[in-house]
Amino acid sequence: MAKVYTGRDGVLQLSGATLAKVVNFSLQANLETLETTTLGDSLRSYSPGVLGYSGSASLLYYKDDDNSINTANILNKLVKTGTAGVSSSDTVELTLRWEDGVDKNDIKLTAYITSATIGAATGEISRADIAFTGTGALSTVSIS
Amino acid sequence: MAFPTLTPTGREFTPGNFPSKTFNSQSGAEVRILYGSQRVNATLNLSYSNVSDASVELFLTDYAAQLGTFHTFILPSDVFTGWSGSASALDAPPGAKWRYAAEPQIRAVRPGISSVTVSLRAVA
Repeated sequence: MAKVYTGRDGVLQLSGATLAKVVNFSLQANLETLETTTLGDSLRSYSPGVLGYSGSASLLYYKDDDNSINTANILNKLVKTGTAGVSSSDTVELTLRWEDGVDKNDIKLTAYITSATIGAATGEISRADIAFTGTGALSTVSIS
Repeated sequence: MAFPTLTPTGREFTPGNFPSKTFNSQSGAEVRILYGSQRVNATLNLSYSNVSDASVELFLTDYAAQLGTFHTFILPSDVFTGWSGSASALDAPPGAKWRYAAEPQIRAVRPGISSVTVSLRAVA
């Protein structure tokens, strides 16, 4: 059956567990292009370079009935104590999903959280904005 | 082995100068003596960006065949592609040939793709 996907069909998962109160998410695929135009050419030409993925998401800062915070396992990749900084193990397994009943269209990737913003403002719901950069290949692509 | 017949992605040419010597007197007068009838020290810097490693290897092979900066050679017309003026204006002076002025410089871009820059100097 034909279907137009909307925000109601979107799901963001962290390590297979659905994150609560996700406002939006997006993923961008970037291909680096290497220019191969030579002297005398009138049109530019390119060779494919390195492919990469990056994206962002916004979540409401939300505490569940069991006192767990929905953003905890994301923010703690960057916002943490200690002097070690970020290590190569500080990756997250993200699944970006568009659902149509039992039909699930997924993009799964391993990513580093590259920025995290959280704050509070009078009259507004607190939310966390994150950006991520994929490392390695996508493990699942079933969106087409 | 001949210089690779590839079209460069960038080219810088300096025509060189006529050999002369300048003498200045205390009065400020200047005397110039011309020592030759041809330009000397013309240079040509060629860049080949994002080419295959096989293409880059051609330059290394030619550089070795020319014994580095020792031998002189003429350049294929591909080197001057895009120049719409007379061919002789952008080449070595009459009677001169090119030699490597330095080692080719190679920069790896990604697997299988590299960039190379070649510096040449015209000598008679």
